[in-house]
Amino acid sequence: MTSPAKAEGSGPSVALEPELESKPTPAKEEKKLEGRSPGQLMWQRFKRDRTGVICAVVVIFYFVVALGAPLLTKLSGTDPYTLYGQDPTYQDTPVLDDFGLPLGYFGGLSGTHWFGVEPQYGRDIFAMLVYGMRTSLFMALGVTVLMMVTGIILGLIGGYFGGRTDYWIGRVTDFFLAFPQQLFFIAFMPVVTAFFVDPREETPTYFRALAMLIVLWVLGWMGMARLVRSTVLSLREREFVEAAKVSGASPWRIVRKEILPNVVTPILVQFTYTLPSTILTIAFLSFAGVGFVEPTPDWGRLFANGSKYAEQDPSFIFFPGVALVIFVLAFNLLGDSVRDAFDPKSGR
Amino acid sequence: MKSFSSRRAQAIVVAIAAGSLALTGCSENKGTNTGKDSKKDQKEASVQSKAVTYADAAGSTGPAKDVAGAQSGGTITVYQEAGLSHLDPGQTYVSDAGQVANLLFRRLTQFQEDDKGNVSVAGDLATDSGKMSDGGKTWTFTLKDGIKDAKGNVITSADVRHTVERQFAKFIFDGPPYLQTWLAGDKYAKDYRKLLPGGGFDGKHLPKSVLDTPDDKTVIFHFDQARPDLPQTLAMAGYAIVPTKDDTKEKYDKAPVATGPYKIQSYKNGKSLVLVKNTNWDPKTDSVRHQYVDGFNFQFGVTESTQTKRLIADQGDDKNAIQLTGGVEATQIQDVIKNPSVNARVTKGYQPYVMQLTFNLDRVKDLKVRQAITYAVNSKSLIAGEGGVYGGDVAPNYFAPTLPGYEAKYDPYGRLATPQGNIAKAKELLKSIPASEKKVVFAYANSENGQKRKVAIEDALTKVGFNVVSKEVDAASYYEQIGKLDNPYDMYISGWGQDWPSPGTVVTPVYDGSQVSDGSPNYSHVKDPKVDALIKKALSEQPTEAAKTWKEAQHYLMEKVLPAAPLWYTKQFQLSGSNVGGARYGSVSSLIDINHLFLKKS
Repeated sequence: MTSPAKAEGSGPSVALEPELESKPTPAKEEKKLEGRSPGQLMWQRFKRDRTGVICAVVVIFYFVVALGAPLLTKLSGTDPYTLYGQDPTYQDTPVLDDFGLPLGYFGGLSGTHWFGVEPQYGRDIFAMLVYGMRTSLFMALGVTVLMMVTGIILGLIGGYFGGRTDYWIGRVTDFFLAFPQQLFFIAFMPVVTAFFVDPREETPTYFRALAMLIVLWVLGWMGMARLVRSTVLSLREREFVEAAKVSGASPWRIVRKEILPNVVTPILVQFTYTLPSTILTIAFLSFAGVGFVEPTPDWGRLFANGSKYAEQDPSFIFFPGVALVIFVLAFNLLGDSVRDAFDPKSGR
Repeated sequence: MKSFSSRRAQAIVVAIAAGSLALTGCSENKGTNTGKDSKKDQKEASVQSKAVTYADAAGSTGPAKDVAGAQSGGTITVYQEAGLSHLDPGQTYVSDAGQVANLLFRRLTQFQEDDKGNVSVAGDLATDSGKMSDGGKTWTFTLKDGIKDAKGNVITSADVRHTVERQFAKFIFDGPPYLQTWLAGDKYAKDYRKLLPGGGFDGKHLPKSVLDTPDDKTVIFHFDQARPDLPQTLAMAGYAIVPTKDDTKEKYDKAPVATGPYKIQSYKNGKSLVLVKNTNWDPKTDSVRHQYVDGFNFQFGVTESTQTKRLIADQGDDKNAIQLTGGVEATQIQDVIKNPSVNARVTKGYQPYVMQLTFNLDRVKDLKVRQAITYAVNSKSLIAGEGGVYGGDVAPNYFAPTLPGYEAKYDPYGRLATPQGNIAKAKELLKSIPASEKKVVFAYANSENGQKRKVAIEDALTKVGFNVVSKEVDAASYYEQIGKLDNPYDMYISGWGQDWPSPGTVVTPVYDGSQVSDGSPNYSHVKDPKVDALIKKALSEQPTEAAKTWKEAQHYLMEKVLPAAPLWYTKQFQLSGSNVGGARYGSVSSLIDINHLFLKKS
């Protein structure tokens, strides 16, 4: 979908001066004041993109909320583990009817339960949501970053060096691609648990998180590697790379200074797609019983549970759902904007 | 800026979707009073727990009493989520196949229910419910005249003998084990198959001292001890007649020959099953079954959620539809209750299962710990996970409301008064317990439901000071894992239901010390000499005295042994189409009474 960053007429503009004008990015079409680094240019363009800025604020807000979950629940005075509908301590303030559905307006919205309560158990949706965001966002972020870094490194090596290196990296990529990720996980998790965890001890949550992180990482970097490899492959033959080679630059320098800046765009776009889909994968895993288990709050599971009550208690899915939709939308739009800012020619 | 306008459009779509969601959820839920309804259920169930009576020859002759307003014709659609695992009667132990077997196969005896829910055992192929002699060690059955299978062959005592003998064959492994083990007696107690390894197929038959067929019409069973429950055992679908000439061994599981009012026209495993009238079935010989509709059309693979939605909508063919063993999906129960016209089409009652938190007595040895847990567990939150008031009721003891000898008021741990757990009492019991014993390992099936139960158990026990370690167990092999004798867990949730209305089918398999083995339902590994003695005593007694002995056994178990904390009774809540007549709850199957149905307009 993304073409190599630069279209035409973009040879290495000048000799390879260290910082300022070194990048082959289209610096010339900008104002002719004195030199700005591509980073500065990008920042300038980005600031002008209203959607981009709003989305950035939204995305940052989500991460802040996720980070500040314990503070926020302190404010609301609820926590994600108490069964407000079933706990005898809260018997005087019933939140559920006999069918286990929330009493009152809009899924039991009230001063104590800001987003209402969950059917059946009556847990506080606000607390579950902010804590769930915490689990899901940071897990997804960790997995995605690991996947990206691995994919970029292997893609760069394969694409730049070509030949036998490329062949073997390509075969390894194929090999990993052949693994059905989710099936593998379902088969793999109980074995690992049985191996590392005493049968009379509870499987610790960090253990589950680590296992998920590793497996999703090991089985998830291939797409990125292939994308980067193909981009690098075409860049390698370009004049500015040739020129750098001729002028005696080391491969490390060429990769770092000439090629990497040009693959930033596809990387960013890929990143903005992968992160939300990783959230959903993690949600699926906890559904298949190999990810996080109840009562560890999980955004994806909250959403999936909500969908079951879509007819009887639509408000249950409302807050987690709207939060998820806004997040995914904002994240994708942010990615688009950042790409536009880096490379104003693409996507128009 | 093209891209911007499309983004704005996206935003509008999102806003509209969100707004419509908000509108639907914006009416106040003031809660509905369902307390009365559930009390009524309990009263109805007391009928179910009445002792079974044995019908005489007059009560066993057909034709069956007509259902009020019944007429002939039409085809009933039957929905079921999973396919049937077996059709061979010898392999039939599970309720879905059991329901189908009620239409297809006849047995020596059968259960007969009247409109008030009173259950009696009548003769099916036999002229009456059996003649007992020798203090219950010998039972004699005489066959009715003019009974044929779907191919027109007359059924004789040789066919009955064959039906019993094939139970010993290797390919019959999933059916009920009662009759075989009783016939094998103490001599072959370890492996009943040794009594007749060939299963009657190699020309060798059971000795006359065990099963005698003096003429074409008489069958005599001899046991080494009294078996007063035999007529009820023989009424199980697992002991339905397989005629000698028709038996195709393993293949019979796919294409059995009918003896009942309907026969199989076509069967696609896991997809569909079409039943049509069996013309060789003579209504004059059957005191229970009817043949009102022309046939049944079973559709498998329809999820409970879809079944419920179709039956609530009640359109087209769904007017003629019923659910086989599935019920109304838990989340949709309130949609049914709140709509009077839909609610009128409900068949409901108790299921025979008591769900309990079973303790592994090899590990949790301290009675005080078990008592504290029993006081602490929150039955209400567990029931909430099953669909609320209509999904289950708080269980104060081990006997389900469907069981004769059920005592609604017997509640030694105050479960009814404090269904959410008696925290103070539990804490008090725990005072003298060392911390090491407060660590309990709870195993749960790693499914959605299992995880919900985990939350409820963890929550309740942590509150009184237990250190709960929850271990997930693969859901598909859950019962297999907790059935292992040396399992590493302290407690697990398990359920058991009666096979026929006698506490003998509950206490014996679940609490008999001699039955402790890998895979046996005695998940708590109770080995108590007093319980074993009481079981032995009750099994040889007549129903009225036996009832007292069973009561004594239960009270002793509850108060002195406490192998499990009773949690909840499961309930049945089924829906049928508006054109289906005669729908009623069958006390024996705990499901809709499938022999009682007709179509109002065909």
